[in-house]
Amino acid sequence: MSDLVISDAVQQLNRAIGLIVPDVIVLATVCLMFFSAPFLVSEKGEAPAGLRHRWGWLSLLSLMVAGYVWWGTSPEPVTTGPFRLDELAWFIRGVSLTFGAVLVLLTWNQADDARSAETQACLLSIIAGVNLVAAANDLVGLFVALELISIPTYLFLLLPRRDAPAQEATMKYFMLSIFSSGMLLFGMSYLYGAVGSTNLEAIYAALNAGRGQPMPILLVVAVMMMVAGLAFRLTAVPFHFYAPDVFQGAPNSAAAMLSFIPKIAGFVALYRVLAVPVVVVGQEWSLAQFSSPLLWWLAVLSMFVGNLLALLQTDIRRMLAFSSVSHAGYMLVGFVVGTATTGGPTGFEALLFYLVVYGAMTLGAFAVLGVLQRPDRRIESIDDLAGLSRNRPAVALLLTLFLFSLTGLPPTAGFLGKLNLFLAAWGTGTESGQWLAIWLAVNATIGAWYYLRVIGTMYLQPAPAVATAADNNATPSYLAMALCAIATLALFAVPGWLWALIQRV
Amino acid sequence: MSVLVVLILLPLVAAALMLLLDSQATPVRARWSALLATLATVGVSLAVASQYTELPTITASQRVKPITPRMELRHEWLTLAPSTPHGVPTKFEFYLGVDGISVAMILLTTILCVSAVLVSWTAVTERAAEFYAALLILEAGLLGVFCSFDLLLFYVFFEFTLIPLFFLVGIWGGPLRKYAAGKFFIYTLGGSLITLLGLVSLSLMVHQETGLATPFSIPDLAQALMSHRLSPTVQYTLFLMIAAGFMVKVPLFPFHTWLPLAHVEAPTAGSVLLAGVLLKLGSYGFLRLLLPMLPDACRNIGTPLIATLSVFGIIYGSLCALSQNDIKKLVAYSSVAHLGFCMLGLFALNVEGITGGVLQMINHGLSTGALFCLVGMFYERYHTRQLSELGGLATQLPRLGVLMVFTVFASIGLPGLNGFVGEVLALAGMFKVDMLYSALGALGVVLGAWYLLGVLQKAFFGPVQLPHAHDGHAEDVPDLNAREILTLAPLLALCLYLGLFPQRLIELIRPDVEGVVHVYKATSVHDSKVAEGETQP
Repeated sequence: MSDLVISDAVQQLNRAIGLIVPDVIVLATVCLMFFSAPFLVSEKGEAPAGLRHRWGWLSLLSLMVAGYVWWGTSPEPVTTGPFRLDELAWFIRGVSLTFGAVLVLLTWNQADDARSAETQACLLSIIAGVNLVAAANDLVGLFVALELISIPTYLFLLLPRRDAPAQEATMKYFMLSIFSSGMLLFGMSYLYGAVGSTNLEAIYAALNAGRGQPMPILLVVAVMMMVAGLAFRLTAVPFHFYAPDVFQGAPNSAAAMLSFIPKIAGFVALYRVLAVPVVVVGQEWSLAQFSSPLLWWLAVLSMFVGNLLALLQTDIRRMLAFSSVSHAGYMLVGFVVGTATTGGPTGFEALLFYLVVYGAMTLGAFAVLGVLQRPDRRIESIDDLAGLSRNRPAVALLLTLFLFSLTGLPPTAGFLGKLNLFLAAWGTGTESGQWLAIWLAVNATIGAWYYLRVIGTMYLQPAPAVATAADNNATPSYLAMALCAIATLALFAVPGWLWALIQRV
Repeated sequence: MSVLVVLILLPLVAAALMLLLDSQATPVRARWSALLATLATVGVSLAVASQYTELPTITASQRVKPITPRMELRHEWLTLAPSTPHGVPTKFEFYLGVDGISVAMILLTTILCVSAVLVSWTAVTERAAEFYAALLILEAGLLGVFCSFDLLLFYVFFEFTLIPLFFLVGIWGGPLRKYAAGKFFIYTLGGSLITLLGLVSLSLMVHQETGLATPFSIPDLAQALMSHRLSPTVQYTLFLMIAAGFMVKVPLFPFHTWLPLAHVEAPTAGSVLLAGVLLKLGSYGFLRLLLPMLPDACRNIGTPLIATLSVFGIIYGSLCALSQNDIKKLVAYSSVAHLGFCMLGLFALNVEGITGGVLQMINHGLSTGALFCLVGMFYERYHTRQLSELGGLATQLPRLGVLMVFTVFASIGLPGLNGFVGEVLALAGMFKVDMLYSALGALGVVLGAWYLLGVLQKAFFGPVQLPHAHDGHAEDVPDLNAREILTLAPLLALCLYLGLFPQRLIELIRPDVEGVVHVYKATSVHDSKVAEGETQP
């Protein structure tokens, strides 16, 4: 009898692991790197020159193997097991592995040889964390996966550069991240208290069953706390306070990672905990419906605060931080709209499309900063870019491309991304949805101003006397920049395939 | 590959090659490459025109759509969710085509681009490769607008033209270039985002109500709207939203403030294209999208609103022009007035008026383009454009003087030159609708003659007064050379040709104008039937 139970449990475990093979591969690489790296570095902390290249290649290889395995898997029906591989999980895994590779390229030369292994390993475990957030089928699993993103992030912020600004940035991020995790956990515990299960499928079933009765007050608290906790990861206003300081102080690749990766995780987690898949529009209550006014305000505030404060920035990373806040607002528009559209795309489709496009353009912009960065001179203020079009015309042209894409101008993917959000919001036919569309348009105009200012600095201002020569160490950043540029243009010209993938979600 | 694709890609590829292969090119090499590219584009545009004219004409009885593009090329771009009650997916397409109006605009664009390259020949020496590349990219964007028959593609090209023009004004412009470029960019972007909002809601609405599978295809949308009319209030809202961006672009009276600034600060080539073609994007948008699609709104609020603003623009623009000392600014304000005539014609909503409006678009492009070239030419010589500092130029530079007189007459609308036909038709069309607008507009013709002849009188005739040339004495300044005459010759020849034989152009655009007017005939018949039905018990 007990044999049967055990073999049953083993079978279940096997099936569960089967759903997360790509993540297991990535995490195995992480373990390998953490374990072997100390043996390759001398006690004084000196490493053989060029060691970072090996770690870089290993990370890329691991992501590629994971990607290959991922491509071979296909979504499976959701059960009450610990993991799920639905269309969303499958899609998000592809996105995070792809952009993970770009981030590995950006991190390549960021840390010195001695710390490269740990830095890349942190990045890989962050990527695995994102995948697991999408794959988690349990509140506990979801929380653990989110922490799998947060905890390596603290190291990732500090390892490459250990000067005072980086320490300050890490400290700020650490404190606020812990705080937000606490809020999320608090909310989750109330959700558990209300429905009596931590399994997502069980929770959805319980919520559906309880639809006839009034909404328990426990759930009100749960929704508020979970939204607050996750809004931190989205850098949505008013949970954005860490972003500018952290972006400014952190190493370039960490700022790039922070601008994008937590947003994927945050939106997916929000999608999972708010029981969005079971929402029935216009039927009594649902968590998604209840949270929608809250998220509406988060979206509008994020757009306005992000864009207006970005206008005032002189530091390019701070500007990109506020731009990231405003883009969180745009994406929240898609989330608020959800499936409540009567024509055109749904909000979620628009959101997922925008996430991918945003990844390409924001990582591209940071890759340009990575290319321009020299050991002796970091690009900090926007004025450091003056005359870039004379010194490095190709780099200036690509940064212009990314900034126009962030603005939402054709012929870049950013235009289609904003257009889809716009169509989704306008297509709701409700007043609140159409106001969102209008605020989106207003903010796109405000946003144009500060992106344009950077372009103006590059093209319209005379170059400084000291010309910056190309840096040989920047090859991986060049590659990342080129990949993002190709994606930004290609997703404008042939967006059909991505859209087809998204529609399956 | 379709000739239209070649038309749009040719300047774009040329620009890309210039930037990638030869970004450090000497001005000489850059300008020759640019000239070659623009001339080749003229060749392609002539091929388009000849192919178009060889197509069998569509008679009015065969015509089923208000807009009938020919030489169509449709290619799927993005198919959105089938989340409608009708279950048909919304599609964006790469939908290219031409009709008579766009053929005329394409020819205007390609010809003006050659002049724009020639006029910059010696004026632009700094970052020449980038300058000419930006010019070619702008040309590609403009041609794209005129070839697009998908709403979204139209908007994409419409917006895209902002980017090269921003750089043209911002890098190679006058002292206030940064401010001018920024203001121009933000102003027009803000306007066109409202337009986008309107366009999107228009097609979504039609998609939901009729289940039209291609609500972003302009001809299909216009046809669907003809059989399925939106309620007037909806039409009014949509009209105001969509018109916002076009009103800024034209520019109509209270939205014109970006224009004089951008014109004055832009390099000559930028001004030529800005006045010659970019402003027409606004009136073209009105003609292509609003007139055929929202007939009730155009008739009930469009005519009074736009005609009032146009009349204001004509008079206000003329008065402003009258008080300018800077000739370039004067020409810029004259654009506000001239585009007013064009809009008056379009919103007469009858064949005469719309024909006049389209002719005015072409004519203004030619004559104002030439005027900006001339202003650029004597600015290069004297480094001033102030009327108070110039006098008797005609005796010093007889060739420049002759051409200036000719251009001014074309711009005023002297019979026998091109401006006359357009203005008369536009005003005549409006006269049928409302005498008052027409009469006030005609006042603008008089004012136009006043300020433009004033320029001739002060700067070209009258006592000789020459500022010091920057190198040497004012008397040594050379007259126009062959290159400069070649810059102007095609424009002025066309002015004369269109003045003497306007029929060729009118025939070219007539089927399409009639297609638009047909919407109004159909709707007015429909209205009168409804009215009769109501009165009969």
